[in-house]
Amino acid sequence: MATATVVAAGTEARTAKGPGIRPSGWIGFLFIAPNLLGVAAFTLIPLISVVVLAFTDWNLVSGLGGITFNGIDNFVAIARDPGFWHAVGLTLVYVAVSVPLTVVLGLALAIALNRPLPGRAVLRAIFFLPYIVNVVAIGMTWLMLMNPKAGLVNQVLDAFGVQPGWFASSHWALPALIVMAVWGGVGYCSLIYLSALQDAPRQLYEAADIDGASAWAKFRVITWPALLPTTVFLLVTMIIGASQGFGLIALITAGGPGDATTTISYYMYQTGFQFYRFGYASAIGLVTFVGVLVLTLVTWRAQRGRALND
Amino acid sequence: MRRKSFSRREVLAGVGAGLAAAVVPACSGADSGRSGALQVWGGVPAASGPADVVKAFQAKFPQYKVNYTRFVNDDRGNLKLDTALQGGVDIDVYFTYSQAAMALRAGSGLAADLTDRVRADPDLQVFLDTEQPRSYIDNGKVKALATAREPFFVLFNEKLRQQAGVELPQSWTIEEFRATARKLTTDKTVGTYTLPDVARIALGPNYWYDGNRSNFGDPHFEQGFRLGREMIAEGTAFPWTEVLSRHLDAYQQNSFLGAEFHLWSTAPFNLRYLYDAKKYPHDFKVAFAPPPTVDGQNWNGGSYSNFIMVNPKSPKFEAAWAFVKFWLTEGATPMLKGGKMPALGNVTDEQIVSGMLGKEPDKYFDLDSFRRVVLASDPKLATDTRLTGFPEISLAMKQQRDLCWLGEKDPGVAIREVRRLADAAIARNERRP
Repeated sequence: MATATVVAAGTEARTAKGPGIRPSGWIGFLFIAPNLLGVAAFTLIPLISVVVLAFTDWNLVSGLGGITFNGIDNFVAIARDPGFWHAVGLTLVYVAVSVPLTVVLGLALAIALNRPLPGRAVLRAIFFLPYIVNVVAIGMTWLMLMNPKAGLVNQVLDAFGVQPGWFASSHWALPALIVMAVWGGVGYCSLIYLSALQDAPRQLYEAADIDGASAWAKFRVITWPALLPTTVFLLVTMIIGASQGFGLIALITAGGPGDATTTISYYMYQTGFQFYRFGYASAIGLVTFVGVLVLTLVTWRAQRGRALND
Repeated sequence: MRRKSFSRREVLAGVGAGLAAAVVPACSGADSGRSGALQVWGGVPAASGPADVVKAFQAKFPQYKVNYTRFVNDDRGNLKLDTALQGGVDIDVYFTYSQAAMALRAGSGLAADLTDRVRADPDLQVFLDTEQPRSYIDNGKVKALATAREPFFVLFNEKLRQQAGVELPQSWTIEEFRATARKLTTDKTVGTYTLPDVARIALGPNYWYDGNRSNFGDPHFEQGFRLGREMIAEGTAFPWTEVLSRHLDAYQQNSFLGAEFHLWSTAPFNLRYLYDAKKYPHDFKVAFAPPPTVDGQNWNGGSYSNFIMVNPKSPKFEAAWAFVKFWLTEGATPMLKGGKMPALGNVTDEQIVSGMLGKEPDKYFDLDSFRRVVLASDPKLATDTRLTGFPEISLAMKQQRDLCWLGEKDPGVAIREVRRLADAAIARNERRP
């Protein structure tokens, strides 16, 4: 009843003002106009362009007059393109391994750092550091560390009789990129988890302690459900981020050796910016967008109803 | 009566108009932003020669002012140039360094037709030659003119050569190249960085194409892959794991200066690292040998390059042409310091020596071999004119060569994969309108 009253009052107020905006209202629009300009120029127009170009054959150099609409030809070609499907496979492996690994290690680190430790703030800062370091610096550092002959990593692994070729091996290049991605993301995950752990309901832990619950039981029944929304947030954002992974690949492997690290983003880059097939590259972008959207929705739906507050 | 409110539609229309007013002028800028100066875009840093060319041009033609803008000659830099040309940015003259980019630009209306100007000028008749082309001719029209000649040669580290007691070859075969690399290999120094392009030496220009298919069925391609792999395996060529993990393709000069390898098959643009011992420390002289021959064939892997083009939208065509002609005929000498030998050959030997080999040429170079290999010889330069699917084929070659030379793929299997990908790229590109 109370709700109905509020809704009715709201409707009345709007009717009294009419559908227009008061003069003082459009001043607000002027304030956000620069932002709208940015969104239009750097997001909206490129997005619409990609959708339109996906149905064309265009090499950019021929100008707007050189755009030829070719219906769904690009999408038919994508379905038959072994290079595209190879890139999809690599991207799925990259996402399926790097994202869960980052989240699990981030959670473990957050739980470890959530306890009273000497120098805890410093440790948090150190673990978060890789997330804010420039990607070029990260790439160059790992390139040296993973040098098959003189790198520190292989010198350590030599003790175990293992000598991976890392970026100079089509078998090890993708695992090397996954290691870098996990290293770069764990600190960020742990920071987000740490803030979520602060919000976990204390009274439930107290009740569990009184009932004599084990640490594992408390984690399973209280901590994990409390962290589920955060986990989903991290999974969704990291799946999107990982499927768009480009910087380190462009910097370190350029998709190689062979096509061992040509993920979907890099394949799209090659198609557009090296082969000048902008229509086809746009179609790949559109298909990738739909794929990532589906993956995100599946992740989101999988957790519905399982969080502590649901 | 004064209106007290605006409808939502009016407000949104107003904001939209404001955005359009802000965006449209920023996007157009065709003639509104044109300056009086001639705008020249090139990939060579101004300090490596272009600034001096511009200075000399302005001294001779005081009525013209020139602004030189450098773009980085990589994928992103070329894309920047392409979008600038398409977007109507004020560019009158520009350079193109890759054949694939040139075909796209010339075929897309971004290059003015220079045929009449070239025909009318006795100094420039050589640009009409189609046997060893120094120009890019698109459907019978001259669209681009090479400013530089970049022959390949093989450099020897003289200190190591003399220690090994190896003769400096004046002519040699690819088998002798391999044998020499073997003799020069020690426990500290690898014989060669890599080997010259075997198929290019044997087949010359347009060697990737055979009619409307690729030419990778020719055995010289597999021979090159196999030879490289065998030399890496026996330790006489640089390990490809090192090349990839240290990104040596872009930094091979550092390894040569550090005496990590001995023979270096390269072109004049890399000589700039060898005459400045303060900036690039080393304590050895360098000698020159011609590229090895393959099955009696002696095509040089180098080409005519650094093509100059005029934007057809330029309203300053006369000034642009004056600048192009000046660069080609009398202004190219300053470019020698960056290793750019003029395509017309209109410089003296002494100008080349002092321009390309620095202030103390005797100290860092064996001048006898330089004169013999670079100045006195007339190498057969292979400039490609067929460019269908060129970037796709380049990538396929690189990918399969890497896998082969890492020892992960058999040379025959690798070259067959190149052939498959190249045939597909040619077919796809020839279908395009």
